[in-house]
Amino acid sequence: MYQNKHSIFLIILLGFIIHKYYCKEQTYEHKPNKPLRFHVAEFNFDHVSDVYAITLWILLGSLAKIGFHLSHRLTEKFPESCLLIILGLIVGGLLYVTHLTEQKAYVLNSDTFFLFLLPPIILEAGYFMPNRPFFDNLGTILLLAIVNTLFNTICIGLTLWGFQFTPLYGGTQFEMLPCLVFAALISAVDPVAVLATFSEIHVNDMLYIVVFGESLLNDAVSVVLYRMFASFANIGQPNIIVMDIVLGCLSFFVVALGGVLIGIIFGVIGCFTTKFTEHTPVLEPLIVLVYAYLAYLTSEMVSVSGILAITFCGMVMKQYVSFNISKKSDATTEYVLKMLSSIMETIIFMFMGLSTVSDSHSWNTGFVFMTILLCLVFRVIGIAIFANIANCWRLLELTRIDMLIMSYGGLRGAIAFALALVLDEAKIARKKEFVTATIAVVFFTVFIQGITIGPLVKLLNVRRKQIEEPTMSAKLTNRMMDHVMTCLEEISGSGGSNSLRDRVRNLDRNYFKRWLLREPPDRKDIKLLQTFKKINTLTAMRVHDTARGLVPSASTATVQQGIPEHHHLRSHSAYGNVSELIAANLPENTVPDLMSYENHEGEHHHNDAEMHHFLDTNLYSARPRAAIHLRNQDETGSSDDGTHARFEKSYHHRDQRYLPTRLERELPHGPKTISKTVHNANRPIALKNLSPKHTRSPPTTHQQPNPRSRSRSIAAHQHSPIPSGQRTKSISKDSRISPLASTHIENEGTGRTAAERSRPWRHLSITEETGASSSKTANIPLANGNDPNLHHIPLTVADFGGTYTKSPEYMGEYATTTKPEEPSSRPDVRDIFNKQSKDVSEQQDDGSTESITRL
Amino acid sequence: MGSNASIMLQQEDLQNICQQTGFTAKQVQRLYSRFKTLDKRDCGFLTREDLLCIPEVNINPLGERLIDVIMDDYGENNKINFKQFIFLLAKFRRGRVKSSTTEFNTRDSKLRFLFDMYDRNHDMKIDREELLQVLKMMVGGNIHDDQIATIADHTIGELDSDGDKSITFEEFCKTLERIDADDKMSMKFLS
Repeated sequence: MYQNKHSIFLIILLGFIIHKYYCKEQTYEHKPNKPLRFHVAEFNFDHVSDVYAITLWILLGSLAKIGFHLSHRLTEKFPESCLLIILGLIVGGLLYVTHLTEQKAYVLNSDTFFLFLLPPIILEAGYFMPNRPFFDNLGTILLLAIVNTLFNTICIGLTLWGFQFTPLYGGTQFEMLPCLVFAALISAVDPVAVLATFSEIHVNDMLYIVVFGESLLNDAVSVVLYRMFASFANIGQPNIIVMDIVLGCLSFFVVALGGVLIGIIFGVIGCFTTKFTEHTPVLEPLIVLVYAYLAYLTSEMVSVSGILAITFCGMVMKQYVSFNISKKSDATTEYVLKMLSSIMETIIFMFMGLSTVSDSHSWNTGFVFMTILLCLVFRVIGIAIFANIANCWRLLELTRIDMLIMSYGGLRGAIAFALALVLDEAKIARKKEFVTATIAVVFFTVFIQGITIGPLVKLLNVRRKQIEEPTMSAKLTNRMMDHVMTCLEEISGSGGSNSLRDRVRNLDRNYFKRWLLREPPDRKDIKLLQTFKKINTLTAMRVHDTARGLVPSASTATVQQGIPEHHHLRSHSAYGNVSELIAANLPENTVPDLMSYENHEGEHHHNDAEMHHFLDTNLYSARPRAAIHLRNQDETGSSDDGTHARFEKSYHHRDQRYLPTRLERELPHGPKTISKTVHNANRPIALKNLSPKHTRSPPTTHQQPNPRSRSRSIAAHQHSPIPSGQRTKSISKDSRISPLASTHIENEGTGRTAAERSRPWRHLSITEETGASSSKTANIPLANGNDPNLHHIPLTVADFGGTYTKSPEYMGEYATTTKPEEPSSRPDVRDIFNKQSKDVSEQQDDGSTESITRL
Repeated sequence: MGSNASIMLQQEDLQNICQQTGFTAKQVQRLYSRFKTLDKRDCGFLTREDLLCIPEVNINPLGERLIDVIMDDYGENNKINFKQFIFLLAKFRRGRVKSSTTEFNTRDSKLRFLFDMYDRNHDMKIDREELLQVLKMMVGGNIHDDQIATIADHTIGELDSDGDKSITFEEFCKTLERIDADDKMSMKFLS
C-alpha cells in the first residue's frame, strides 16, 4: 500500500517536473538562430498539459482509493473521506513546500466543483434513491430540510454576530449580514459528506433517508438564503426595505419548485426519448446522463436549485427508463453513474485537503470554536424540536436514539467550502476568516463525527440496514400489506399515506406508464413479476458460480466413482429452488474430471437432460419483462455463425416430437450434418424408437389445450415425483435412451408426451409458432401440433427456426460447456438468460420470420 | 354529522369500546361517523355492497378478498355492525409502546389477519390453490396460468420447511421476521 502511494507521488512529481522543463524547451525552440529541422519526435506537453493534469488527479484518486481498501484495518477505523482529505493535505503540503507549481491552480475551484464534480454525485443519489422510504418520510424530510435549515441559519448567524460584542473574537469586527451569509452556507448539511459517511455505517433505511433527504432538499433553502443575504450585503444593511425580504421569501418557492419542475420535465423527456432507442441501444446510457446533466445546467442557468433538478430528474428516469432500455444499457447506466460519483467524491475530498494548504487563511480561534460549537448545539436543538413536531403525524415515531444519530449525522462538507470560496472579498471583508472557519467545521464534522459515528451507531444499537436477497414471499406479502392497508384506510376514512400512494400508483399506471414506456404494461402488478425474474436470475447465477459453469459436476464425480447417479438430481421435488438442490447435490469437493465425460457419454447425456428438465420446470423467465426488453438483432449478439452453432446445440434438446422424418432418416447416416459431437449419435436412435408412439397420442391434446388444463397438468407434474430412479435407470441402461424418453414411456397412459408434460407452455407456443410460420412461408401444409402424422412434414427452415428460438438453449449450452470438446465455448449464464428472454420476446413480435432470416 | 353520531353512540358503550380497543373516545366517535356515512341505508350494519361502494376499495385488486375476510371472520351473515367494525380496525392501531398494546393490535394478530387473507378455508394452511388465487388477483391481466403457477410453486418452496406443499402459520411468520410487518400493518387513526 505504501509503495503504491510512493509511486503515485512520483508520477505526480514527474508530471510537474515535466511541466517546468517544458517552459525552458519552449524558449529554446524559439531561438532564431537555431535552424529549423524536422524532428523525429517532439515533446509537446503544453498541448496536453491541462487534461494531463486532470487525468493524473483522477488516477491519483483512484489509486489512493484502491490502496486504502487493500488495508482492512485502515478502512474499518477511518472513513474513506478522512483518508482522502489526509492524502490531499500531504500532497498539498508537498506542493507548498517544494513550490513546484502555483498554489492557485490546484485549489478547489468553485466553478469546477459546481459544474463537474457535484452533478454526478447528486445524480447517482437521485437515481438510486430508495423511493419508498423517501416518499414515506417526505413530510419529515421537508420539515427538516426547510424549517430546520432556516432555524439553524438564523440562530447561528445571529449568535455568531452577537458574540462580537464579547472579547471572544479578539476584537475582530463582524457585521450582521456577512455573519448571516456565513451561517447560510455553514448550516446546510452536505449531501456528499452524508453519502460518504452513511454508506459505510449502514443504518436502517428510514434513518438514512431522513438525514440524506434533508441534505439533498435543503439545497434550495441554503441557496436562497445564501443568495439573499449576499445580495443584501451588497445592497447594504441600511438600504434594505421590507419588499426585499418578501421577494426573498418568494424566491424560495421559485428556486425550490422551479428546480423540481425542471428536473421532472427533463426526466420525462428523457424517458420519452428512450422509447425510440430500440435500434441504437448503445446510446441509451448516454441519454440518461445527458438529460440529467442538461437539467442541472438549465436550472443553474435560470438560477434555480440545480441539485433538486438533477435529483428529481434521476428519480423520474429511474422509474421508466429501466423498462425501456436494454438490460445491458441499464447495467451500464448504473455502473457508469456509480463510477462517476465515486471518483468525483474522491476528487472532492482530495481537493479539500489540498486547498487547505494555502496562504489565504486567517485563523481566529474564538470565531472558529464558536462556529463549531454553535453548529453542534443548534443542530441538536433543531432536530429535537422538529423531530418531535414530526412525530405528531408520523406513524413510526422517531426515537431519542434516532434523533441523536440524526443530529450527529449532520455533516458539513465541500458545498459549504465551495460557497465560502466564491464570497466576494470586496463586499464581505472577513472572507478569510469565514473560509478558515468553514474548513475547520468541515474537518471537524468529517473527522471527529465521521470517525465516531460508526462506533456510536454500534454502541447505541441502532437498527441496521438488513441486506437481504429478495424473496418472492416477502415481496408478495409486502404487496398484500399495501393493498390491505390502502383498503382499510379508505374504509376507516382516515386517508393515510397508503391510500395516497395507491392513488399515485394508479395515476402512474394509467397515464405515465402508457406514455413513457415502449410497451405499456397490461398487468396490474409488473413489479411482482420483475421480482420473480430477478430471483430466478440470481438463483441461476448462483448455480453457475457454485458449479463454476460445470453444473452437473456432482454427477461427474459420481460417474468417476462408478456410483449410480440417478438419485442425485431426482429429489428436486423436495427442494424449493435450484440453489438448494445444487447445494444438496454437490459433494464436498468436486473436481470435475473432464476425461470422464468421454468415457461415459450416455450418463452424461442423461444428466444433462435431467438438469435441463429440472431447470426448465423451475426457472421460468417472466414474460412481461422479457417482452419489454425487446432488442434488435445486433444486441442479442448472435451472428450467423453463432446462430448456427447454437442451433446445433439446441437441436439436442428440442422436443423430440418435432423431429421430422427427413431428419430422422438422415441422422443415423450422417450425424455430422447436425452435430460434430460423436456422442449424440445415440439420441436419434432413442428418438426413432419413440417416434411411433407419438402418433398414438390423441391429437386433441395437441390442439390448443386450455389454460386450466395446462396449469393442472403442470401441477400434476410437479407434485408427482419423476419416475423413481430405479426404473429409469434400468430402462436407460438397457436401451440408452434419455430420461425424458423414459418419462414418456411411463406416462404413456395419460396420453401426453413427455415433452409436452415437462413444458406445456413451450409446447403450446411452439405449436402456435410453427403454425404462424407455416402460414407465412406457405410451405408447410398444417401446423405441426395439429397433425398427428408428424413424420410426413418435411423439414423446413422455418420449422427449425421456430423451434430454435423457443427451445431453452441455455440448457443446451450448459450441456455443451461440460463437453471436453469445446472448453472455450463456455458462455456466461447471464448472457444465456438474456438471450433466452430476448428470443422469446422477439418471437412474440416478429414471429419466426425473424429466425428464418437469421438462418 | 359527527356530533349527531356521537349522540347515538351511548356513553356506556363508548367507554366500553375505548377500554377494550385502546381507541380514544374521539377516535371512536370519528369512526362511528364514518360508519354512519358508509351505512347509506341507515340500518346499523354494513354489507358487502356498502364497502364496495368505496371507489378505492372497488378498484383495489384485493378489495373483494379483503371484504370477504371482513364479512366472514369479523361480521356475521354478510353484515358487520359497528362493534365488529371497530374491533376489526382495532387490529391496526399502532401499538409499539407497551401501554398502547391491547389484545387486538399485537404483531401476532396482525400477521394472523394477513394469513387469513390467503387462507380462506380456515385449515390453518395456505395451500397452492389459495396462493394461486391471490396471485391471480394481484397480478391480473392476461398472464399465463402456468406462469402464475410457477411463481406460486416458487413461493411455496421458499416458505415450506416441512415439505407438505403448503404454508403453515409458523412458516408464514418466519419469513416475515425480517419485514417490519408491525409498522406496515398499522395506521394512524385521526382523532
